[in-house]
Amino acid sequence: MTVNKITQLERLPELVPEGAVVAFGGGWFANHPMAAVRELVRSRRDDVHALALLGSIDVDLMVGAGLLSHLTFSMVTLEAMGLAQNFRRAVQSGALPITEIPALSLQVALEAGAQAVPFLPLRGPLGSDLVASNPDFFGTATTSFSDDEVMIVRAIRPDVAIVHALRCDRLGNAQFDGTFSQDPEISAASDTVIVTCEEIVDSTIISESAHLTKIPGFLVDHVIEAPFGAHPCSHVPRYAQDAWEILDYQKAAIAGGEVFDAYVDRIREESESAYRERVLGGGRDKVLAALAEVGPTLEASQNG
Amino acid sequence: MADRYEVHELMVCRIAMEMTEEGDYVTILGSFTPLAYSAYMLAKLTHAPDAWLVGYNAIGMPPVELSFTGSEAAAYRGSLARNSFTPNGHLVHLGTHGLLECVSSAQMDGDGSINLSVIGDYDKPKVRLPGGAGAPEVVQNYRKVVAYFSKHDSRTLCEKVDFATGRRTPISRDRRDAADLATGGPITIITPLAVLTKDDDDRPFKIESVHPGVSVDEVVANTGFALDVSTDVPTTAKPSDEQVALLRNKIDPFGTVRFDFLSGDERLTYLEDVLAQEWARAEAHLAL
Repeated sequence: MTVNKITQLERLPELVPEGAVVAFGGGWFANHPMAAVRELVRSRRDDVHALALLGSIDVDLMVGAGLLSHLTFSMVTLEAMGLAQNFRRAVQSGALPITEIPALSLQVALEAGAQAVPFLPLRGPLGSDLVASNPDFFGTATTSFSDDEVMIVRAIRPDVAIVHALRCDRLGNAQFDGTFSQDPEISAASDTVIVTCEEIVDSTIISESAHLTKIPGFLVDHVIEAPFGAHPCSHVPRYAQDAWEILDYQKAAIAGGEVFDAYVDRIREESESAYRERVLGGGRDKVLAALAEVGPTLEASQNG
Repeated sequence: MADRYEVHELMVCRIAMEMTEEGDYVTILGSFTPLAYSAYMLAKLTHAPDAWLVGYNAIGMPPVELSFTGSEAAAYRGSLARNSFTPNGHLVHLGTHGLLECVSSAQMDGDGSINLSVIGDYDKPKVRLPGGAGAPEVVQNYRKVVAYFSKHDSRTLCEKVDFATGRRTPISRDRRDAADLATGGPITIITPLAVLTKDDDDRPFKIESVHPGVSVDEVVANTGFALDVSTDVPTTAKPSDEQVALLRNKIDPFGTVRFDFLSGDERLTYLEDVLAQEWARAEAHLAL
């Protein structure tokens, strides 16, 4: 029987079980699975436990839309645009329970999850107060090799991973030609893996550039075509971040209240294809592609 | 020496000195912190062209022009390898290849603790900050710690941080050697007033240098923790004409570095101005 993992974005919310721990891919303003995030926002869920390593607008939008019941993270920020406002408000008010774990420790915990071992040792962040405040995550172990104690982190195995790739085939072989952060590792650690991608292609196309396949299909359960699925984040080399859209978002988030509610309502009231038409119209798609081409590298000989 | 320079350019040049061509040691481009980015690019374009720089998943990236929308894609052009975050983190952040990844926290204290988590009580914060990303592992495992701040005052360089998101421990070289931890330099703090260093668990930070026109008393008065003050504190080197020209004309023509020195509305207004310039260049490219 032919394997076909292809499905539609509208089905994504039903692929996420109630109360699931969902690891979201991408990092900073690069390559977050924003089409999937928007579809979850449209579903009006309020029970997702998000796991985000280097979160930005992805996490802040989900918090602001009331999607999250818990957040495990190492950082959430809109960087030069300021603090992540919905995240900040929700944690300050106590509305959003959080688990804050340093990034490398969180990555090793996901690695343990992928390897199906209960914990892994690491040269961890010994001087951090986060060690003492997370006794269920950071521990120590001794071995038969010596009496020395080593720092360990407990394995994390998310229920679902959602990542955004450049290309993917019906078998789930996911390719990246730019930033892929730790998307392969969260995919390896999670029970169910959903790949959204710029385009679904035939497996022959994948095999022509197999070195770009960062997530092998045997890890992947569902494949969804979502053009500009990282927008307004970047998907290098196809398009740069849409900083004007992120700025509009941040202004709404700073204002909060009805202004931010209106931002969320607009997403809820339009389909993903309507979203694309709205934000990419007037040639914005071409400008975003050009922005990913025109930033120069520099050579040492070019003085002054 | 350049007579016409701004203090952030002096800071960039001092940070750049920390990036060196030391064989298998790596500098990592973390979150978009233009002051640190500028320093890494300056080092690559001047004294350390072969120093390893890693940004995003690009290993051995070339120096790139700083911009909000173009730097990421540029990092991949001319890079020498690609790697996923976790294996790279094993080598650099948790392993033995970390040289430099600047941190800039809301607070830092005399122990070298950095706070990127909360102002106020952790469980009921007055301000919830972004969190430290990989900084807790960086400050513990890299060869050295370099922290920079856009303000030098006793709220930022404070007596005691509200929460230690990260802290290097131990600090003294002999104790780190005994614990088989990476060594290679002190904890260095670079501010608009001075350079402070600490290399001994049992001694306070000392003033390595004060910037031109700044007095030692001014530094002491604006620092919330105790300092070792020697009788003869040198002056920080001014940037050279070549360094200033590279920074203004090649590395950061849009002036992104100013973001570290702006706050709130000022910052968003300035961002709009920079974005308009970046957009105009892309539109001109399309029109060709």
